[in-house]
Amino acid sequence: MNTASNATHAVLATGTAVRVKNSPPEIHCRTPYYLRGVPGQVDTLVGRFRDPSLLAFNKPGLPMRYLYRVRFKQKDIWPDYAGSPADTLVADIFEHWLDVLKEPAHERA
Amino acid sequence: MEKRVNDVGGLPGMTIRQETHPATLHQKRVDALYALLTSPPVSAFRVDSIRRTIESNTPEDYRNFGYYDKWIRAVHKVLIEQQILTAEEIEARMQEIRKRPVVVETAACANP
Repeated sequence: MNTASNATHAVLATGTAVRVKNSPPEIHCRTPYYLRGVPGQVDTLVGRFRDPSLLAFNKPGLPMRYLYRVRFKQKDIWPDYAGSPADTLVADIFEHWLDVLKEPAHERA
Repeated sequence: MEKRVNDVGGLPGMTIRQETHPATLHQKRVDALYALLTSPPVSAFRVDSIRRTIESNTPEDYRNFGYYDKWIRAVHKVLIEQQILTAEEIEARMQEIRKRPVVVETAACANP
């Protein structure tokens, strides 16, 4: 089954500036609360997977969704972060939870 | 911004108990039941359904029930939700099992 046409956007290249959506979560949400609204950069494409928010209701989980490994600066996540400004955190985020930013969020660490 | 009961990343104040202990017979049985229900030929539901049900617990239940207790409660709920068994069928079977004589099998309960 070709589900590519159902994807919300094309495959994002490494380094693409993105922001995690700040919308109300699905009932079965896999995007951590502390990352919502936080800007980051696509690190790698993990692959395409059935959508867990649909699998959780015994549905086939289609269309399949791209899953990205997204890198965030720790100081962008925690306002009072005391460590190095170069510290980063990498999290797996599904495509439908990412907005592509027009401008790069920040310089690559 | 809604946050689910399990979504505790970044929150302060939780102590993590790091000591290990062998699995109890009850825990092994929950694990076995889950494996049988999610594997062919039964394949009654997927892990996502169980996670969704566990994460729909009230904060009190989420905090107070143990890991495997949350699992078996979720299995119970999903079996009914998916109309695989009714609550009455499960209860009738549990009543039947409760009437069995108690046989303590120390070998089966022994921890490795």
